[in-house]
Amino acid sequence: MNALLGRVACALILTAAPFVSAAAKPIAYAHGTTVMAEYGAGTMNEIQAFYAPSYWYSLGGGHLALESDDGELSRDYTYLRANYLPKHWNLESAQANAFVWGSVGRVRVGELDDDQFAWNVGGQFDYETRQIYASLRTDLYEASAFSHRIDTLQLGYSPRAHDIDTLAVWFVVQARNYTGGLYDGTEVAALVRLFKRNAWIEAGFTQDGKVQAMLMFNF
Amino acid sequence: MKSIKLAFLLTCLGLATVARAGTIEMTVNGLVCAFCAQGIEKTFRKDPATADVLVSLEHKLVAIETKAGADISDDALRAALKDAGYDIKEIRRSSRGLAAVRAEIREPGA
Repeated sequence: MNALLGRVACALILTAAPFVSAAAKPIAYAHGTTVMAEYGAGTMNEIQAFYAPSYWYSLGGGHLALESDDGELSRDYTYLRANYLPKHWNLESAQANAFVWGSVGRVRVGELDDDQFAWNVGGQFDYETRQIYASLRTDLYEASAFSHRIDTLQLGYSPRAHDIDTLAVWFVVQARNYTGGLYDGTEVAALVRLFKRNAWIEAGFTQDGKVQAMLMFNF
Repeated sequence: MKSIKLAFLLTCLGLATVARAGTIEMTVNGLVCAFCAQGIEKTFRKDPATADVLVSLEHKLVAIETKAGADISDDALRAALKDAGYDIKEIRRSSRGLAAVRAEIREPGA
């Protein structure tokens, strides 16, 4: 399933590559602050805050809570993170970005009742026009007690091209795959994404009927 | 004497042009997301030369009305857009106000 998801994601992104931003991004703009909170169907919940001294990097921190769907595994990771934008493309009617990031911190491993050093590396490629959006994000989390990879693919469509002062409405399908015993299979969610000015909210349900939601603010 | 008069006249004309408020219109590539583009407004509104800012995703346009006697250099414009994450394709300067640009966007050809 992982291999299939990866192939589908690559094919979609390569197809869209000449053109692709309604993606959640860890760097908004120079001297901008981004605050995000995500409720990922109970499996993955995260809060983050980043400040970008420049358009190509940002620094900040966050807290990630992971809990396996059977309730046996839990991780509470508090971290400091750096985000880097090595490449972006501004096309006439589209934008594409490639981000990478890394974090270090302490994790509470629930089943061992132990605190450990942990680190993470990740990346994201996103492509966006005013009506089409695609992103592929991957994260690897490592500690002596565990190794998890989380891959997230999002595809979005907006029936009406929004502008600077209008409410943007996007319909997004998300597929997320967890390794290391967190979730069996691929978690698929249907989401509605709304944003206007500096506020962003998205919400929907997974195929298990669980709530998936995210809030984001830039200022 | 003629050349002095001509120089004086040209200086006066130049000063008159500088003293008038103007509009800088920029065609910008990658302008597709309002959530991301707010950095543009934020950046230019902090510039003391800026009177008003207009961003249109549909027209791939960023327009700045400058205060009377003020201007923003092309290099400064490109640097500001770069900081916001965008690239300028073209810069045009005119003496029309931002209201005229807004009107044209609402009703092309008006």
